[in-house]
Amino acid sequence: MARPVGIIGTGQTKHGKRMDVCYPELVREAVMTVFAETGIDPGDIDGVVSGTMPSMMEGIALTHFYFADAMQASGKQILKTETCGSTGVSIAHTAYYWVASGMADLVLAVGHEKMNEGDSQATMTTVAEPFYQRFFIAGAPGVFSMQSQMWTDRYGIPEDKLRDAAAYISVTHHNSAFDNPYAHIKIRVTMDDVKNARIITYPVRLLDVCPNSDGACAVIFASDKMIRKLGKKAAWVKGVGYSGEEYYFGDSDKAVWQAAIQAAKQAYKQAGIRNPRKELDVAEVYNPFTYQEMLFYECFGFCDFGQAPDLVLKGTFGRKGELPCDPSGGTLCTNPIGATGLIRTAEAALQVMGKAGDHQVPGAKLALAHAMGGVDQFNGIIILGSEK
Amino acid sequence: MANKVAIVGVAQNAGCESKDNYYDQAYQVTRELLDKTGLKKDDIGTFISASSDIFHGGISCANAYYWETTGAFLKNGSRQDGESLFALFYGAMRIMSGHYDTALVIALCKGSENPSNESCTLMYADPFYQRGVGLNETLAAALQMKLYMKKSRITAEQCAKVAVKNLGNALGNPYAHRKGRYSVEDVLKSELVADPLTELQVAPKSEGIVAMLLASEEKAKKITKKPVWIKGFGSSLDSYILGDRDLLNGQLRNAANRAYKMARITDPGKQIDLAEISEPYAFQELLWMEDLGLCSPGGGGKMIDSGKTEKNGALPINPSGGVLANNPYVSRGLQRAVEAVLQMRGEAGERQVEKRVKTALAHGTHGFAGQCHAVAVLGR
Repeated sequence: MARPVGIIGTGQTKHGKRMDVCYPELVREAVMTVFAETGIDPGDIDGVVSGTMPSMMEGIALTHFYFADAMQASGKQILKTETCGSTGVSIAHTAYYWVASGMADLVLAVGHEKMNEGDSQATMTTVAEPFYQRFFIAGAPGVFSMQSQMWTDRYGIPEDKLRDAAAYISVTHHNSAFDNPYAHIKIRVTMDDVKNARIITYPVRLLDVCPNSDGACAVIFASDKMIRKLGKKAAWVKGVGYSGEEYYFGDSDKAVWQAAIQAAKQAYKQAGIRNPRKELDVAEVYNPFTYQEMLFYECFGFCDFGQAPDLVLKGTFGRKGELPCDPSGGTLCTNPIGATGLIRTAEAALQVMGKAGDHQVPGAKLALAHAMGGVDQFNGIIILGSEK
Repeated sequence: MANKVAIVGVAQNAGCESKDNYYDQAYQVTRELLDKTGLKKDDIGTFISASSDIFHGGISCANAYYWETTGAFLKNGSRQDGESLFALFYGAMRIMSGHYDTALVIALCKGSENPSNESCTLMYADPFYQRGVGLNETLAAALQMKLYMKKSRITAEQCAKVAVKNLGNALGNPYAHRKGRYSVEDVLKSELVADPLTELQVAPKSEGIVAMLLASEEKAKKITKKPVWIKGFGSSLDSYILGDRDLLNGQLRNAANRAYKMARITDPGKQIDLAEISEPYAFQELLWMEDLGLCSPGGGGKMIDSGKTEKNGALPINPSGGVLANNPYVSRGLQRAVEAVLQMRGEAGERQVEKRVKTALAHGTHGFAGQCHAVAVLGR
């Protein structure tokens, strides 16, 4: 690995339907929170990384212009990173490489989304080109349902078991969200509620899907030298991985999903992780859909292919299980897309810094954060540890 | 600079409307770059692209569309939005971090499939105050030009001379979109676009896929005998609301000073041999020259009158024809760097300047009246 880089603080908005603030105010809320939390003066920041979803979703293009003041970025160096749904983790990667290159000691990473002022599903339909795919890829659920079906079929997973496992994940995460002060959806649901919820796109039902959230997240990355100077505790970056594949949905195998497998492999190699289920203490997997979360467990090597539903039902990935996944309630309960990957990163940082409050996994030392995007196409991973 | 990064190969396509589709164009430029550097797709460490959804033919998440066409299949990569010099910086940072020894940087914009720049840049305006009055980049530039002419006593003729020079230079550039021999009178009498800007002082809307390969010092020596080194880079972002800003004292000085500090440039007017400046509006070449320290503050008008910035002058500015000749919006910053590289390598063909270029500057800008600037200093 290159120069050591650590996260010294995180700031999140209270995510949800935030009609009480306008978009720049939402961004400012996260940014001012991280400055207050770390005691860093905005003037000391060397560079700012900003990112979000496409302009159609924002209602405004090249949002770094609009948010220059809210991000306290006037007069600062700037990079604007966007990789669709994986944007949040890509922002974290950009901030990491910036500090690791030796070109900055303090970088502010900001991700944001105000989805209740836009139309997320219409926007996501336009990610597909207008000639072949757009006619039948309607928003996100269509794509991810097809992926779930491909995976279920490949491993012959019985429908009852699959629905039980998906419902188990939904119940667990919705319960966890009550322990996360920033989470959006806070409702108690039962297994039966999930299994009988309104169908969205088979097999995905309403409680298998994330909400549309307004939210922003700000994270400060710092060099080893700066962390020592400030005398701060840090969540150290141990590994970064990213992989992307074909644009045409039908061109690639989405069950044994190479983009996810390769991204995890790169990050594990850097972090020296051989057995992720054993070595990781907590994972913040990007899980807008319950079914897809199980597929990620397999692609990330948390278990063998086709095995995830059994382990989910055994509680392996629950709050008290062998590898707790999404103790924050995850994307399933909170999804301001451009911020979501950075929220996963922030949550992983809080866990290894021991600052996750009511959803702290006791003694967590090594955490994985993840985001996914494109036409089911991109995966990004960042691994954080309590030790340099 | 801790770890040196070199530019070891460049490729670009022509700015005029092409019958080839986006996929083919992106593939052709990537293929050309790989062939020129003798590398295979799998030899490349990481891929950084630049594109913007608002300039992407009605398809959102631009990077999703061209990912595998540009060789990035199952590779670690990322995308920068708005300004392609950002992608150059990010690619360089990835190499400087020690994670990679090569990075393919590519900027993509198929202008012919997008609405006008005015329509696209109107979407930079906030939907509550500025969009309603129709503020876009051209209108913001017209306001800036009026202020510049008044406060710095720059004449309409001096602004027009930039267009005369650059469109003339473009005659030697096979990639340029708009070119020709025009007189100052032709420029001033061309159609009024936004007072005082006339049509020939406003950049066209072009296509542009521009690629470059970056390599670590060790790797660069294996790939080419003529590496061009990235000596320094810097950017700066200004406040958002146009009325809050001093349009003649923007952030370019700040961006340039960051790049100069890194490149150990103390007297840019003397140490820089050639500059490729993004001037989507003719007068901006003069204003940006002042901010870059290539002439004295307020001295932009005298500079163009002196002929120093001509192709074979003492300090050639935009021998390629600049953005006035070719404006693939997102790609234009990286294209400035590509042109600077070609000049330093002596591979600029008919647009090659006579003087020997050891140190060159590439500049990119986007946003109302230059809300954001990026500067790279390159050297042999």
